[in-house]
Amino acid sequence: MSNKPVNHARAAEHFLEDAPHLQFHDERLWDMRQKRDAQMHILPEWQELREEASRIKEHTLSRLPEYLEQFEANAKKNGIHVHWARDGAEHNRIVGEILKAHNARNLIKSKSMVTEECDMRPYLAKQGVSVTETDLGERIQQLDDQLPSHIVVPAVHKLTSDVAKIFAKDYHTDPNIRDPHLLAEAQRQAARPVILHADAGMTGGNFVVAETGTFVVCTNEGNADLSATVPNLHIATIGIERLVPRMADLGVFIRLLSRSALGSPITQYTTHFRGPQKGGEMHVVLVDNGRSARLGMEDFWTSLKCIRCGACMNTCPVYRRSGGLSYGAVYSGPIGAIIDPTFNERKYSTLPYASTLNGSCTNVCPVKINIHEQLYKWRRVLVQHHEMPFVKREIMHMAGKLMGQPKLYRAAIKATEVSLGTMPRFVLYNWLNPWGKHRENPHPVKQTFNDWYRRNREKARPAAAPETKK
Amino acid sequence: MNPARDEILQALRNNRPTPENHPLPPVRTLGDLDASRERFIASLKILGGDVLEPVEGETLDQAIARRHPDAKVICSNVPEARGTLPVEKVKTPQDAATIDVTVVRAPFGIAEMGSIFLSESQLPINSFAHLGQHIVVLLSPDSITANMHTAYQERPEFRSANYGVLMSGPSATADIQGVLIRGAQGVRSLSVWFA
Repeated sequence: MSNKPVNHARAAEHFLEDAPHLQFHDERLWDMRQKRDAQMHILPEWQELREEASRIKEHTLSRLPEYLEQFEANAKKNGIHVHWARDGAEHNRIVGEILKAHNARNLIKSKSMVTEECDMRPYLAKQGVSVTETDLGERIQQLDDQLPSHIVVPAVHKLTSDVAKIFAKDYHTDPNIRDPHLLAEAQRQAARPVILHADAGMTGGNFVVAETGTFVVCTNEGNADLSATVPNLHIATIGIERLVPRMADLGVFIRLLSRSALGSPITQYTTHFRGPQKGGEMHVVLVDNGRSARLGMEDFWTSLKCIRCGACMNTCPVYRRSGGLSYGAVYSGPIGAIIDPTFNERKYSTLPYASTLNGSCTNVCPVKINIHEQLYKWRRVLVQHHEMPFVKREIMHMAGKLMGQPKLYRAAIKATEVSLGTMPRFVLYNWLNPWGKHRENPHPVKQTFNDWYRRNREKARPAAAPETKK
Repeated sequence: MNPARDEILQALRNNRPTPENHPLPPVRTLGDLDASRERFIASLKILGGDVLEPVEGETLDQAIARRHPDAKVICSNVPEARGTLPVEKVKTPQDAATIDVTVVRAPFGIAEMGSIFLSESQLPINSFAHLGQHIVVLLSPDSITANMHTAYQERPEFRSANYGVLMSGPSATADIQGVLIRGAQGVRSLSVWFA
């Protein structure tokens, strides 16, 4: 895998060139944000719920080893096989071995960001396992060979015409279909036989309850339930941070999750798995993949509270106008920009800059992660670790010198004002000046504040009383 | 010995924030505690579910036939409806795929969400709730609990069922250009019959 820093700005530029896609993407996500707000206003206890959710998660993270052991003991008692994976490769090997032991060749799965993290599909393909995503959006992305561009609505950057084209190729439907109902029906008809003949089903897990050994999966399509109840073998891949201590804690989180994500009160399906079905076998793979290390990062450990609702993405002006794929990472948007650098600091060093630091992400986060502050802190860390692009580094270096010396600063301001008024455009608007990209530089002013102050206030200030000698 | 398990747990022990600074908050019951049938119905409709209201003198079988006139295979797991396919015929998960309408009873519903709960105790086989085209759910109005807090605190099914699903209206998606479509991969419709 390339270690080169993701050029988010260039990818975003590309995204901005396509007006119909951009406009739909921006409006659709903002609509989700507004629906979330409407749900929030219905519940006077909304802020209390957020506070509870945050406290429960912080508590759980501080006792994660104990709760994981408790979950494991209870799950085993209920007949669940529990596996532990340090990283993606170990996870894929475990899943591959379970499938092999059952001679399972056809796997159906519901959406799981952790399996994306582990890059599982290509691994299983090499083992001769055919993997079919059953979530509509995820299936569209699979057929188009793209990462999900959003953690809740994976194909949100696509229009109906894009989906029609993809389905025409794989499902042999009419490429000119413009009715989403017909396309969704095509997916249903194509998925049914695959589901009925699958050897194994896979899901993720939104929440894990330590006291009962339960894991919970939330979907709207019911595709996780189909994936888990039709084949007799069910494997669930779950990040180790997904725990809550008590069954009663789910009340807080289920009330927040879908309201924050889509602005619907609850997902159509909220499913609690506590053990295998009759005649079936159930496996849970607990995945670390960098999480235990993240827990030790003083400024960033609270990002592990995330329940993957995507509210921060929907509200982010940069995300809405750049699209999830421009982040070049499994996780995009504000939460992606604070998680991704923990996977690869160099490759994702540009992502914490994909933000205006307006704080909207923090305000909508149902578990109160201080996302915009972490974005800022990441910038500081990356500078300390020298993961900063050359131009940005040099500009910051010069700015630092300038601002440290008032006389030099004032002279520079004057010079800038003069040049803004007199320099030709090609000097002002080029690659050395990112402020001149897609926007006009500020109009030069006739007088700086410092000049104005000297003229109007300094003279008027009463002179200090002369000291008198006694 | 499991080296992966030990290594992960040890790393978590080394790296975690001080537990004493993060006490477990007590369980709380927040929000509207109205457990009425009216609130349940209003919530159910928001999520695309519906109530099957009996026309005078009508049996459940007749009401189902009226709601789903094209249904050929109706399979009931409740004594209140006969259906057309004996439930004993549904033995493997795949068997449920031929059903047009499944009929089940939910042990409880949740007023806040219009959700109904189903587990292996109410289903001949778990896929029964998902592979049929439509589902009709019997629910006693007395078994409605107010909200998610009361549900998780009071209903024992969450602790006893191996498979427990809260269905809130039918299967749905908005994955293609944001258009809401009811009946994505699971049931196309969900109707509640109060009894």
